Amino acid sequence: MVCAMAIAGCQTDTEPTPPPGTAFVPVYAAATQLHSIGFEGARPTVNAGKIYVYGTLLLQNELNEGIHLIDMRNPAAPAKLGFLKIPLCTELAVSNGYLYTNNYDDLLVYNLQASGGPALVKRIEKVFPPANQEYPPLFGVSFECPDPSKGVVVRWEQKSNVVARCRR
Amino acid sequence: MTTTTRLYLLLLAMSLGWLACDKAGDIQQSAATTQGKGGSTARFAIAGQYLYTVDTKKLTTYQLSNPANPVITNVQDVGFEIETIFPFGDKLFIGSTSVVHIFSLANPAQPAKLSEAISPTVLRRCDPVVAKDTVAFATLRSNAECGGVQSILAVYDIKNILKPQQRVAVPLQAPFGLGYADTVLYVCDAGGLQLFNIKNAYNPRLLTSLSETHGRFLDVVPYGQLLFCWTTRGAIVYDISNPAVPRQLSVI
Repeated sequence: MVCAMAIAGCQTDTEPTPPPGTAFVPVYAAATQLHSIGFEGARPTVNAGKIYVYGTLLLQNELNEGIHLIDMRNPAAPAKLGFLKIPLCTELAVSNGYLYTNNYDDLLVYNLQASGGPALVKRIEKVFPPANQEYPPLFGVSFECPDPSKGVVVRWEQKSNVVARCRR
Repeated sequence: MTTTTRLYLLLLAMSLGWLACDKAGDIQQSAATTQGKGGSTARFAIAGQYLYTVDTKKLTTYQLSNPANPVITNVQDVGFEIETIFPFGDKLFIGSTSVVHIFSLANPAQPAKLSEAISPTVLRRCDPVVAKDTVAFATLRSNAECGGVQSILAVYDIKNILKPQQRVAVPLQAPFGLGYADTVLYVCDAGGLQLFNIKNAYNPRLLTSLSETHGRFLDVVPYGQLLFCWTTRGAIVYDISNPAVPRQLSVI
């Protein structure tokens, strides 16, 4: 029943346009630069993401952009060591000197102890499905129908004054 | 762009590049320890020689005996709208918008589902969860995004892991992550970081609340004598050598 509703969720354009109201809208990220990764100089934190502590190293996700590496040897004076640029990165964990993170739906492994800086040593493709591309994680809600040509859906946000043609 | 600006940008780029190389040694040195820790809102968690990840539906297990080459040993459906994963002892606590799923790691390569902790207090919520001894703490956030009508801190009796029982529900505004050090539970809530004395786990007493000075508190990682807080604007680090009286050390 729920699945059927979800599949049949989108009204066709021939039906009357609903009045604007509060609804969920997909937030897109362009998939074109997905594999543009690298180790760069420190940068300011803008959209702070999850944190992970490993010894005297603090790692903080910059939402959908990468990971700040922060030296906490003196916790009263943290020092940003650099920035791992990883598009659509949201998760992180470290074990035995290796960082495990996601590049959209791929799992990446970095050797943090490589002499030239963090080195990508492994990519496992399509193991971490991201936000649902078709509908928000709720039932009984209206939402703006996603448009795959705009990129991948990284999350769903509630907004007012939206013309929502889809419902589940 | 003037020639001077161009030269400046070139020098800046060079110095950043140089800086990045120079910092590799610092990263190596800082990463020399082996015990890491994430927050209660994490979707990736390490336990022993395994990495566990949860997406919206599935729990995936990676064996890390060669840390550079994770090998998937198990993939299983957990349920709907999985949000968080928290390893504790030989158990995995997986928070979703409807229940807390508890898995056994008796065979760490293939987690086995033991039970579900269901709160009678709220029907839909977001569930970061942590466990301590025979007790599990979860924040159940009810808002537009998660549904439901009431937000609480739920305390579950997990002495019988096959039958978790909700023992306490403490009303909160709009909680996010949580964590504990010794007998103090840190709960990220709208308005500030709430500190509860959990010496008696089934009677959490509010000790104090740290106000928001660097955005909203979203999650905490107690790590030895330090408390790392993820906030909407970055991070705050506290000295918690006295867990009930955090002393702010720095802001990132």
